[in-house]
Amino acid sequence: MFLLLPQALVDGFLIGGIYVTIAIGFSLAYGVMHIIDFAVGEWIMLGAFLGFYLTKWLQIEPLLFLPLVFIVFAAIGYLFQPVIHRVLSGKKGNPLLMALVFTFGLALMIKGLGLTVFGFYSHSIPSALSAGSFSLEIGSLFVTVPVIRLTGLIYALAITLALHYLLKKTDFGLAVRALSQNKDAAGLMGINAKRTSSYVYGIYVGISAMSGVLIGCIFSISAQMGSQYTVFSFFVVVLAGMGYLSGVPWAAFLLGVVQSFFLIYFNPGWTLLAVFGILYAVLLVSPKGLFGKGV
Amino acid sequence: MTKPLLSVEDLTKTFGGLHAVEEVSFQIQQGEIIGLIGPNGAGKTTIFNLISGYHPPTRGRIAFNGRDITGRRPYELARLGIGRTFQVVKPFPGLTVLENVVIAAFARHPKRADAERHAWQILESTGLAGRAGLSAASLTLAGRKRLEISKALALEPQLLLLDEVVAGLNPTEADQTIKLILQLRDSGISILVVEHIMRVIMNISDSILVLNFGRKIAMGKPAEVTRNPEVVKAYLGEEAACKP
Amino acid sequence: MRWRNLLWIGISIAGLLLLPKFFPDPFFLRIVTEVFMWVGLAITWDVMAGYTGYLNFGHGAFFGIGAYVTAILMMRSGWPFAATLPVAGLVAGAAALIAGLPTLRLKGAYFAIATWALALAVQQMALVLDITGGPDGMRLPPFLHPQFFFYLMLTLVTATFALLWFLLEKAPFGLKVKAIREDELGAMALGINPTTIKMQAFILSAIPAGVLGGIYAYWITFIDPASVLADIITDQAMVMAVFGGLGTLIGPLIGAVLIFAFKTYFWAYLADYQVLYLIILGGVIALTVVFLPNGLWGTITGYTGGRRILRKALSVDQPQGSGEKET
Ligand SMILES: Nc1ncnc2c1ncn2[C@@H]1O[C@H](COP(=O)(O)OP(=O)(O)OP(=O)(O)O)[C@@H](O)[C@H]1O
Ligand SMILES: [Mg+2]
Repeated sequence: MFLLLPQALVDGFLIGGIYVTIAIGFSLAYGVMHIIDFAVGEWIMLGAFLGFYLTKWLQIEPLLFLPLVFIVFAAIGYLFQPVIHRVLSGKKGNPLLMALVFTFGLALMIKGLGLTVFGFYSHSIPSALSAGSFSLEIGSLFVTVPVIRLTGLIYALAITLALHYLLKKTDFGLAVRALSQNKDAAGLMGINAKRTSSYVYGIYVGISAMSGVLIGCIFSISAQMGSQYTVFSFFVVVLAGMGYLSGVPWAAFLLGVVQSFFLIYFNPGWTLLAVFGILYAVLLVSPKGLFGKGV
Repeated sequence: MTKPLLSVEDLTKTFGGLHAVEEVSFQIQQGEIIGLIGPNGAGKTTIFNLISGYHPPTRGRIAFNGRDITGRRPYELARLGIGRTFQVVKPFPGLTVLENVVIAAFARHPKRADAERHAWQILESTGLAGRAGLSAASLTLAGRKRLEISKALALEPQLLLLDEVVAGLNPTEADQTIKLILQLRDSGISILVVEHIMRVIMNISDSILVLNFGRKIAMGKPAEVTRNPEVVKAYLGEEAACKP
Repeated sequence: MRWRNLLWIGISIAGLLLLPKFFPDPFFLRIVTEVFMWVGLAITWDVMAGYTGYLNFGHGAFFGIGAYVTAILMMRSGWPFAATLPVAGLVAGAAALIAGLPTLRLKGAYFAIATWALALAVQQMALVLDITGGPDGMRLPPFLHPQFFFYLMLTLVTATFALLWFLLEKAPFGLKVKAIREDELGAMALGINPTTIKMQAFILSAIPAGVLGGIYAYWITFIDPASVLADIITDQAMVMAVFGGLGTLIGPLIGAVLIFAFKTYFWAYLADYQVLYLIILGGVIALTVVFLPNGLWGTITGYTGGRRILRKALSVDQPQGSGEKET
């Protein structure tokens, strides 16, 4: 029984990286637009399918497509954001609420589109790395490290570093941070809120889609997969404390470990229940996330 | 000396490292108007937020009618008799003016018909009765400020906190509001009023509390306070800048 | 205005009561019964969304919980159907209480997330538990009496409508709820405890949904997670309410009738392309949000200004607010 414990931890840690990337993008979008995007899981699904079909047609390694997937979806996100912006800046009714409803409608549409075009079947994206694995022996502990999951972690690290650089070292990053702090003041500072939000939304959609490809190489993909990943994204962001980026990795790795735990020890069907249970408990005890730093 | 209606002791509020309010103490007697002045960012609104329960104080004690109310929630305090207005006015824009006031009136009149009757009375006294059926969003700034006061009044408060209800009004409107404030005082309500316009604050206040960088630098009769060199130094330079 | 309204309501209810007499066709009655049900789901969803300003993405969970409570009590404990309905409502209400406790103190986004997660968790729970029959679902004793269900749904939905109308449009509760929707912080300064009011509204919206679920289970005689706990239940109720017009009771009612009529028609011709329906629902909601943020009813009546004009036009004894100009 306990022999598998290190394995569960390693698996969870490796997969957690991908959740970090999704959650950071999601948090960024929340930070600048102040809405949560219910379509996050659907962007992941669409990205995964783009990767799947490209691999199928071109017969080359899916990981090579990552930049292409990013560009395609970043463009889609960039072009889409003004619509959300328009809803958000509506004068009548409750724009924040309506924007949420809007992303939800978007999610429904994409899901329906996915089911229509891709059908109900599950697929997986064949990567050359999928089969490989190596074993580690640390004392009496023995764990297998699947190469593709390790790749996922490396990918996550790269994305996180790139985003860190973008946010902390560039003018664009400054604008994003100013926007997340205070919309009006940022406007006064000459920051083009509309354009910056569009870029952020593009980046977020692009990253989600790319991560979808990796998820497709590790797990299976289907047109219905979106909701689960939407909940996962929410889980990570809420646990981290909404808008508190530094908390994201911890929450994401926790999610990865919970998931692989349930895969190894229990019925995977219980994963969502466990996720909800943890979410509930955290909200009850520390509403602002594990670290009490959210908004 | 009579028992004060509100007594604030060593009130302190910090936001991160920023001391927005530091060790401020003062008292308000029944039927008294206290003017709270200070340059921008001095901590006036923060004091309002502390007294009305929007922020828990970092340190210090607030007593109302002899009861310790430190850390009580805003809605409890509203029911106890502390009414406040917001510097950035907060009408319920999708509701009518009457409905806005009726909501506040529920605190004392749980029945809808009673609350409505009471709200009409308030609107008559604040001069908004003619616009009762309009949506609150359609009011002018003067109207909104009046609506703020009306809502606070509908609570039938013993203590009223008015945050810049005159600023931004034209002279006629300002005079009406001042008259209203004085009437309220005469009816026995104690009022803590924040205002940048010196003419107003000097004329209506029984005494004045001056804040600077969160600290109380003076308190006394208007005439005394204006002669206080520290006040002149801290405040008057600023006043020229933000005079309407 | 009172008399004219009452007259209209009386005529409508009488018409609905007599409907089975003149159109006894079971298929037709089934459709109308289901319309009632969706009206009920849409207006109760709107209690949170349109009136309180909180988006509940798990409304279908309350419906499903009610359905399972009725099914379990009837099949596992041998209760009579009628006795299960109050329990279905109460359990749904309790679920709302539990879900709302940690989330209703927080910003709206948390509530949206938590209700969405709740719905998925309830789905999973029904799938893995034994008492619910897991993915195989549960079969209830057939009771093939279309008129019974027609009148039962009609009664419940009319009662719910009347209750909500009284509470939200006439009683103080409605104004308090709207104050929270408009400005939660501002409402606190007026003696309103937002958490309490939101909780009451949430429970108020959950209980009728649970009872509707209970009726549905007995009516349809077979339930499983894929039917009574499907995402599409919340999705559809949402689309109906948003399309019809949030923040009113008439809006969701109109939305429910129109969308359901469309769906019935659509199903008849396009049954092979069921997923297209998702796209249409998503499209309707997205387009409504962008182009008709006040929904159909809200747009027709011009929301605030126009509604008052409409009311004035219909009434004889409304002297208030004369000579006003709307912007
Ligand atoms: N919620 C908050 N979080 C962080 N800082 C705050 C908060 N509220 C106020 N402050 C800070 O506390 C200080 C005092 O602000 P306050 O609003 O009380 O000033 P004020 O005297 O009302 O100024 P004004 O005349 O401009 O209204 C300011 O530096 C302000 O930035
Ligand atoms: Mg201020």
